[in-house]
Amino acid sequence: MRSVIMLAFCFTALAFLGPVFAPYDPAAIDIPNRLSAPNAQWWLGTDALGRDILSRLLYGARWSLGLAFLISLLGLLIGTIVGLVAALGGKWIDWALMRATDTFLSFPELVASVVIAGVLGASTASLIFALTVTSWMRYARVARGIGLSLQNQGYVIQARLAGLAPLSIARWHYLPSLLPSLTVVWTGMFARAILGISTLGFLGFGVQPPMPEWGTMLLDARIHMRSTPLQMIWPGIAVVVSVLAINLAGDALRDALAKQDTKA
Amino acid sequence: MTSIVFGLLLRACVVLTGAALATFALLWHAPGDPALAVALARYRSVVPDAVIDQVRAEAGFDTGFWSAFWAWLGPLLTGDFGQSAVTGRDVWPELVTAMSYTTPVALLALGIGMALALPLALLATKRPGSWLDRFAVALASLGVAIPAFWLGLLLILLFAVQLNWLPAIGARTPAHMILPAMTLGLGVAASLTRIIRSGILEARGQPFLPAFRRRGVSPRDIERNHIAPHAGVPVVTVFGLELAFLLEGLVTVEVIFSRPGLGGFLVGAITARDFPKVQAVVLVTAVIFVTVNLLIDVMYRALDPRIGERDA
Repeated sequence: MRSVIMLAFCFTALAFLGPVFAPYDPAAIDIPNRLSAPNAQWWLGTDALGRDILSRLLYGARWSLGLAFLISLLGLLIGTIVGLVAALGGKWIDWALMRATDTFLSFPELVASVVIAGVLGASTASLIFALTVTSWMRYARVARGIGLSLQNQGYVIQARLAGLAPLSIARWHYLPSLLPSLTVVWTGMFARAILGISTLGFLGFGVQPPMPEWGTMLLDARIHMRSTPLQMIWPGIAVVVSVLAINLAGDALRDALAKQDTKA
Repeated sequence: MTSIVFGLLLRACVVLTGAALATFALLWHAPGDPALAVALARYRSVVPDAVIDQVRAEAGFDTGFWSAFWAWLGPLLTGDFGQSAVTGRDVWPELVTAMSYTTPVALLALGIGMALALPLALLATKRPGSWLDRFAVALASLGVAIPAFWLGLLLILLFAVQLNWLPAIGARTPAHMILPAMTLGLGVAASLTRIIRSGILEARGQPFLPAFRRRGVSPRDIERNHIAPHAGVPVVTVFGLELAFLLEGLVTVEVIFSRPGLGGFLVGAITARDFPKVQAVVLVTAVIFVTVNLLIDVMYRALDPRIGERDA
């Protein structure tokens, strides 16, 4: 558990501090030294424009991990609000909001984000929009489910009878019970967002060059796959290790919460 | 049961109408004048404003969002997906051709996934916590974290470039199916292993099993008659997730293997801004996805009658 959290922490630190460690400017073009193999000067080699791959990976963490963090938090916010409104709003509001949730789930999320980002035009803004509108549904379902189960708890009934406004009930009685489960969902969605950003980048619908996003780097590297296969390996490893670390952290968190539940 | 199925069907219809509305709204708000795009694609030259206005009126773009939506939905309900905005050819036959390339790969991937996951999960749960179990879990966690397109590129690098065993690009022979199906199949295997494994472990913890054991039911009969059906319920529901995973994977995997399937069709249509094609893929995918999930829902309730009582 501790080691997994440490790993996740290291990656977060990387996203913020990457530029401090980066040996070169990630956009500095150096044509004579293009497609260089890894050596003492360029630890991971250089790409087709002679840019240092290590520096690009470190700067890329900001895009790949930072944007994923932002997107998963936006999804958490929207989903929690939708779920709580559905749970507290009465039968018809609940029905309408849950059918809206089903509608957004009627389509594989990543395919939907590819369509949205592609149709709106490739840019970072449409990438954020495309991944956010397809990432709130799970939070909404979890928040509504727990909200409905809390409805008949003694302290919630008492708060309602005491005339507390629905908003205050949501804030003081629902949110604290929701947070652990939502955090577990959030780790899963954070990992999905990393995969989503790199997929959109790889298809050319995401973060645009020359920004060093990992998926976009893979798109560039693919062309030179035969001559310099290593160039294609590094960004992939970065994606896999960060997704793995976050997933493992999520699993550890879920197990810890389950243990707490059985103790209580 | 009939009323539950009817309720689920009604819900599926509401959801599909919602999906159509969302799709139309997205394309309606897409940057650029849709009438201009259609006119340019149709006449392939500079078009005068009068022609653009005519196209706009023909397509019903000038009548406002809702009437345009209904005018668009009508032909769709009769199965008319219209013509490509770029080539002018009917979308439906092209879509059918694309699906004929995609379906065998998806089925093969599902088969590979099952063939790998079932033995691995059974071996892993023989002794939970053993090195074999840990190895299976680690492998599955790794498999879930790998983006499908990167795995595909790695397989191309290994089997097509280095070893030169298998063809990578195109779809001429059945051998061309192996690498894309393997790419997707390994991902399916990873998530299936996790779910089958935890399904078996959970079924083993059921409180009625010790009672059977004390009554002298043989361990083999307990495994077959009591643990297997229990572990089967989550596996059925997971096929909805696997379908989502396959469809998501196909978008990139078909692109890297240059297969003329549904994924390649979709990405090509988006890049060319050929909106009738995009609509067709989106709606057909939504119909498939909703139908499969509906079937899973019905099957789930049939396998585990307790679910129907909980939330109808």
